[in-house]
Amino acid sequence: FLHDDLKEMLDSNKDSLKLEAMKRIVAMIARGKNASDLFPAVVKNVACKNIEVKKLVYVYLVRYAEEQQDLALLSISTFQRGLKDPNQLIRASALRVLSSIRVTIIVPIMMLAIKEAASDMSPYVRKTAAHAIPKLYSLDPEQKDQLIEVIEKLLADKTTLVAGSVVMAFEEVCPERIDLIHKNYRKLCNLLIDVEEWGQVVIINMLTRYARTQFLNPNMNESLLEEGNDKTFYGSDDDEDEEEEEEKKSEAPMPKRKPYVMDPDHRLLLRNTKPLLQSRNAAVVMAVAQLYFHLAPKVEVGVIAKALVRLLRSHSEVQYVVLQNVASMTIKRRGMFEPYLKSFYIRSTDPTQIKVLKLEVLTNLANETNISTILREFQTYIKSMDKDFVAATIQAIGRCATNIGEVRDTCLNGLVQLLSNRDELVVAESVVVIKKLLQMQPEKHSDIIKHMAKLTDNIQVPMARASILWLIGEYCEHVPKIAPDVLRKMAKSFTNEEDIVKLQIINLAAKTCVYSSIGKYLNQDYKYVLNLAKYDQNYDIRDRARFIRQLIVPTEKSGALSKYAKKLFLALKPAPVLESPFKDRDHFQLGSLSHLLNAKAGGYQELPDWPEAAPDPSVRNVEVKDSVPEWTKCSSREKRKEKKVEKPFYSDSEGESGPTESADSESDSASGSEIGSGVVGSVSGTASEESEEGSESEEEEEEEEEDEKDKKMTMKKELKKPVQENPREDDMRLTLSSLFPVEPAPSPQVTPLNSFLSNSLATDLEGLSLSDAVLSPATLSPCSALKSYELLHRIRGEGLSVEYCFSRQPFSPDANMVAVQMQFTNNATSETKNLHMEEVKLQSGMRVKEFPEIELLPAGETATAVMGIDFCDSTQAANFQLCTHTRKFFVSIQPPVGELMRPVFLTENEFKKEQGERF
Amino acid sequence: MISQVFILSSQGDHLIYKDFRGEAGSDVVSVFYEKVTALTGDQPPVVMSHGDLHFVHVRQGGLYWVATTTSPGSSPFTIIEFLNRFSALVKDYCGSLSEKSVQMNFALIYELLDEVVDYGYIQTTSSDVLKNFIQTEAVSSKPFSLFDLSNVGFFGAETQQSKVAPSSAASRPIQSSRESEIFLDVIERMSVVIGSKGVVLKADVEGEVRVKCFMPSCSEMRIGLNEEFSIGKSQLRGYGAAVRVDECRFHQNVHLDEFHSNRVLRLCPSQGEQTVMQYQLSDDLPSAPPFRLFPTIERDSGGRLLMYLKLRCDLPSKRFVVISALSQELSSPDQSAELKLQNRAIDWKIPRFIGGTQLSALFKLEVSGLSPSSLMEVGPVVLVFELPQLTVSGLQIRFLRLSPVQPAPSQRWIRYVTHSDSYILRL
Repeated sequence: FLHDDLKEMLDSNKDSLKLEAMKRIVAMIARGKNASDLFPAVVKNVACKNIEVKKLVYVYLVRYAEEQQDLALLSISTFQRGLKDPNQLIRASALRVLSSIRVTIIVPIMMLAIKEAASDMSPYVRKTAAHAIPKLYSLDPEQKDQLIEVIEKLLADKTTLVAGSVVMAFEEVCPERIDLIHKNYRKLCNLLIDVEEWGQVVIINMLTRYARTQFLNPNMNESLLEEGNDKTFYGSDDDEDEEEEEEKKSEAPMPKRKPYVMDPDHRLLLRNTKPLLQSRNAAVVMAVAQLYFHLAPKVEVGVIAKALVRLLRSHSEVQYVVLQNVASMTIKRRGMFEPYLKSFYIRSTDPTQIKVLKLEVLTNLANETNISTILREFQTYIKSMDKDFVAATIQAIGRCATNIGEVRDTCLNGLVQLLSNRDELVVAESVVVIKKLLQMQPEKHSDIIKHMAKLTDNIQVPMARASILWLIGEYCEHVPKIAPDVLRKMAKSFTNEEDIVKLQIINLAAKTCVYSSIGKYLNQDYKYVLNLAKYDQNYDIRDRARFIRQLIVPTEKSGALSKYAKKLFLALKPAPVLESPFKDRDHFQLGSLSHLLNAKAGGYQELPDWPEAAPDPSVRNVEVKDSVPEWTKCSSREKRKEKKVEKPFYSDSEGESGPTESADSESDSASGSEIGSGVVGSVSGTASEESEEGSESEEEEEEEEEDEKDKKMTMKKELKKPVQENPREDDMRLTLSSLFPVEPAPSPQVTPLNSFLSNSLATDLEGLSLSDAVLSPATLSPCSALKSYELLHRIRGEGLSVEYCFSRQPFSPDANMVAVQMQFTNNATSETKNLHMEEVKLQSGMRVKEFPEIELLPAGETATAVMGIDFCDSTQAANFQLCTHTRKFFVSIQPPVGELMRPVFLTENEFKKEQGERF
Repeated sequence: MISQVFILSSQGDHLIYKDFRGEAGSDVVSVFYEKVTALTGDQPPVVMSHGDLHFVHVRQGGLYWVATTTSPGSSPFTIIEFLNRFSALVKDYCGSLSEKSVQMNFALIYELLDEVVDYGYIQTTSSDVLKNFIQTEAVSSKPFSLFDLSNVGFFGAETQQSKVAPSSAASRPIQSSRESEIFLDVIERMSVVIGSKGVVLKADVEGEVRVKCFMPSCSEMRIGLNEEFSIGKSQLRGYGAAVRVDECRFHQNVHLDEFHSNRVLRLCPSQGEQTVMQYQLSDDLPSAPPFRLFPTIERDSGGRLLMYLKLRCDLPSKRFVVISALSQELSSPDQSAELKLQNRAIDWKIPRFIGGTQLSALFKLEVSGLSPSSLMEVGPVVLVFELPQLTVSGLQIRFLRLSPVQPAPSQRWIRYVTHSDSYILRL
């Protein structure tokens, strides 16, 4: 009766009316009105063709599914119909709604739907399936095993859309099944940059955990070097001794230990996450930062500092969390943030909690060189109107003073000056800090203690009063005349003091009494105080008074203890260590909630420790089997993609033949030979690297049978980021070459058909070989694999045409020069004489070794010559004149960046050394 | 994972409440509000705990945007970033962020939430993707009028109000408008510390170029910056007035192929607001700081504290809106000053400050127990100001072109503004 008009609208034939009705119904639900009586009328419209209406119907159903299970069950069949809809959005949304219905009876239906959706054609639907997994898991945890199967299947999915969602499901359902990741690890690393940002965060966090279980600690051999610059800061920390001990311990077994070589997969992860530091999403940046902090070698961690400092420019909430993490990091790796010291200066607009965190970071960053700057900055902060902040600043000054011995006196003087500040809070805080500083060297500063004794008349802040009293009591030997006097005053005001002050008055009484009894000077004040304390309301104070009375007032009952009263009260007490509250926080994973709260939040997964010995790295290798699961194809495609890109980089063969063709022909030959020998990796005479290529190519062959669509996707990806991948692949190659010394002999299997290819392959291999015998300057023949450039066109050159190419051979007369191979062709009818070069115009520093003069070039003939140019690592052109007996031509050679290389031979150790310096 | 999301007004009214995982009861809203209000201080901690439940909140548009989570594995960053993105989305869809606009558009916001988060997992926050799913239309609080300047607010600025027309045009829902309008804003924030001797101790400028696009389908947009714009120190181009920044970041949709040669940014803006470019300039301002202060502080015979402040504006003669803290007015009727006892500061407000002129003020303060040392305790002067039509770095937009040319006449607005982020003059 209430919604007759709505029912009418829903029953009408016009979509626009239905839509309007549904919108009004959804608005009613949002307002909290009950619209369940419309259920039959709404359900009818599930079959509606209009997607907008359908979607709103689903919204309605989800709402009532949770409340009215009977009604919900009625609608199940409509969702099942929706799951078969040709529109992917409808299929996805049907699955989403179905999985949102929390009714246990439909668990089998949900399971079936998820399984089907997991192999849906549309990645959007597969993504929805991944999202449905945790829902079903929470509804019925007994389905876990089946769900893990689905997760395994979806993990193998090669689309970026699915990757993030399935890792979310993995993290919720079976985070302990780390073995599921092995085969997908490389794929996830490679896809990472294209995954949507929220997925990136989850994947990076998961991979951090994975890497901690699978790779070795990259810093294990650096423990000797690492402390070099950090040492001074921890001057007074116990922690340092521990570390030193650790170092000593590790020193002994170290020579035995194999030199650390980073797993290429570990490197892959670091390399692929690094660009994400540029992300717009603070969560991604922080995820990468914690990954680097937990996984990267010390020398490389520095890159995250800049990114984190950049986050300091965003919302204050983000700043707050970033600063918490930076504060933790600065304790372990101080050097990293030192260049950004100024970024942590306080701004007038910062809220207090951010100011305090910035102070914390500044204090952690303080060292001998920058302390004067930091103290000057602190000085201005003390004038701030924000009292909490001023108090924190004074504490920070105190910490700097304890940590850095040179400035201790300066700081102390500064703090004493603050004692005459008009603000009581400032004075109180200063007193507390001075007390701590004085404990380090009390004998020098009895004048300060006297000054503070005077303050008891004015200061009302209990903590400060207590601190002063403690100081006087503790060092009463330095101020023997003042202590009893202060006690007398305090005894008068005892009843009006705060508890904490009362306790210190009792202490002072005890100490003066013990001290003066040695000096044969007796004062009865202490008895008065103890009597007052005996009847105090606070039982703590009564207890303390009773305890002290037994110790210092000699009675018959008093036991042996009173003899030791002096030792008890005037024992030398260790100076307090002022340390950062963030000191031990780094055992929580950075960026996690537990780290932020500094408490283990329920269910927090600790980051595992590095393993002692690396687990088998081969588990990540993608095997080749007859029943190749989807992921194998995918990852091989990844590799192939890289290979294709790498080709032009090495051989520039793209001019002559398309890269695809070359890759294919190579795979044909290699896989052909492999089928012959039957065992992967046993190709005789080839290096292990090549056998890897071989196995790749076999996969490639299988992949040829893949549908067209997939191919297109691959191509698209290829186009997208060749530039990023190029250097990466290059690094990879070099790493591989250092691991597997490669025999220079070209593989005998290569058929003559692929002669140019084998040529370039041989050149590649030569570049990687360890013996330089092969590379003695060979005869330079025109090599079709190299890209040649035109120096002089035959029309401009009146029949003479000149082409040049970078032959990539060492130029024997001068190792710094790049060899340029020139090919002269005389297309004219007459012969050309005396070909030589003149008037070389170069940028400063560049040098040229001219080619020997060609005396005679008959008509129609071709000649080659080699010249050397030292481009000084610039891409400036070398200009010169090319002269014949009749004419002069102005020409110039400009090197592409990729050609300015020369082959260098390194031993494995040298390579590692270089690598360590670079990265 | 997110367990619940809710939006509260500053008075604690429930505006939006959605539970994704059914892990906690709905009373958590009041628990949160009690926690927030129980705390003193200007800002409660970002993360607060109540048993196993953790509240993460941000404040945007005077509202509390709160998400709760029970899973400790999720990074607080994700949730904070999500809340910021979500509030930006709501702003894009509803036009502006206020209690009123959220109340009027709750159906739309629920629909947005439904699409953005599924069972606590964030699905997408990209407005391009969401455009396909969102059906509800936004309700604007009032019809848009170009001449209605009563509610001025520079949409890029979070802190201050400005009188730059047509700012209210920019704050309306992106979907409802039929006009094809584009707003391009260059916003800079200065943080400067000037020492007592007038030396600039530290100067930073953070800038951003923002685009708010109302066109449902904008093909391609080309933004030309100053030709002499350079990044980093080494890259100075020629002589003269180079515009230099230290660091520059671009939105991922920006094509930079023409940037290196012609300083042109190409992009296909999606509907809504986005930051196209962010840049920083530190330590080396191209011009002198805009304001200088010449203070004299002394004790007069009657034991009063005399503060004579002379403030000079060193900019070419344009008009400026300046609101400065600490100082007091004596002569001019359009200035005002008041003594704020609880934070022990004088608030001197100057509504308009002409470039090239100077203003002075004399304050006499009765301070009990004034000692010579208390002259040292006078805190720094903090200037809060807004400079419209000006960028400190000198960045200018040469042109803003749409290609191919839109059939309907499109309106393009380019606005510049410089804010003080933290402008401190030490005494």
